[in-house]
Amino acid sequence: MTNTLDRRTLLTSAVLGTTATLVGATAMGSLAPETAFAARSQSPEPGAPDPNFAEGRVTARDGSMILVSGSDGRFHRIRLTGGTSVWKLRPTTLDQVKVGDGLYARGVLMPDGTLAAESIWVNIVNLKVHVTAIGKNVLYLDHSGSRIVGHVVPGTSAAVYNGKPAVSDLSMVKVGKHAQVIGAWRPDTNEIDVATIYAAA
Amino acid sequence: MAGLRGEVSWFCCGNAWGPCGTAGHGACGTCNSGSWQHAWTNTSDACYAITRPDRCGITGVSRRTCGFRHATTNLCNGARVVTTIADCGPQTDLFCGERACCGGTCASNRVIDLTPAAFSAIGSLNAGLIPCNVEAG
Repeated sequence: MTNTLDRRTLLTSAVLGTTATLVGATAMGSLAPETAFAARSQSPEPGAPDPNFAEGRVTARDGSMILVSGSDGRFHRIRLTGGTSVWKLRPTTLDQVKVGDGLYARGVLMPDGTLAAESIWVNIVNLKVHVTAIGKNVLYLDHSGSRIVGHVVPGTSAAVYNGKPAVSDLSMVKVGKHAQVIGAWRPDTNEIDVATIYAAA
Repeated sequence: MAGLRGEVSWFCCGNAWGPCGTAGHGACGTCNSGSWQHAWTNTSDACYAITRPDRCGITGVSRRTCGFRHATTNLCNGARVVTTIADCGPQTDLFCGERACCGGTCASNRVIDLTPAAFSAIGSLNAGLIPCNVEAG
């Protein structure tokens, strides 16, 4: 709990401009969500919307503030800080958040209604699929009856076979098999880039 | 129900963007990605006929219906989230024998799917699949 309060104070300070930099945040430990959220207390009621979470499409960006139109009709103002971790196919930088992107964001709801973001995942999808065909650097996938093109990105895309450590070799992904794909959606084409595919070898 | 050890992943539901746009509000009609909810493999006979955890050797998954609370603990970091049933899933039998590991901690077979809001409260969404323990919340 102490860690949670410290992080809240830190983010609050950062948003209010009373902290010169969030680089020092790492002195408290990693800002990666795996560790950051381990200390978070249970805030919303089970089943209820999480006020510290936002989802939707980016409609505008003004410096460190991004405006997001939620799929449920709500609007969110999300504040990016030096301590915000960004994932868009891979861990990346704040400038990669673009108008039109979809996102999930987790952070701290501030008194002014903005969400001070600890982590945002841009265009991330998690699809249970059936592999229908394989081409050069492309997977053709069926997801709940919809055809999805999945691009293999050399140097980035990885495969996890039977829980073993991720490898760059996707050659054991087989047509006709089920798989799970973590990827990044391409808003302009509705295709995806494959980050990780979980499959049986 | 004794604690159930297995894999947890996440799924989108409700109004959404991209490939999630057609997800709908789940079997209970209440599911939303931004709420602390989950899918359960045994919400009804029809649900169980789809998920079939027994085909992976998981027996004794209790029948739980919409709104029932489960607590999911991330075995990688100890983080815990309590959520309510809002959908049927995951389809365990499609991934029989699959393992998720972190360090020396592993768990096999998919036993629960959380919404993005709930999953991101205990782990990173890009992790995709993590070992967990599930118990009545």
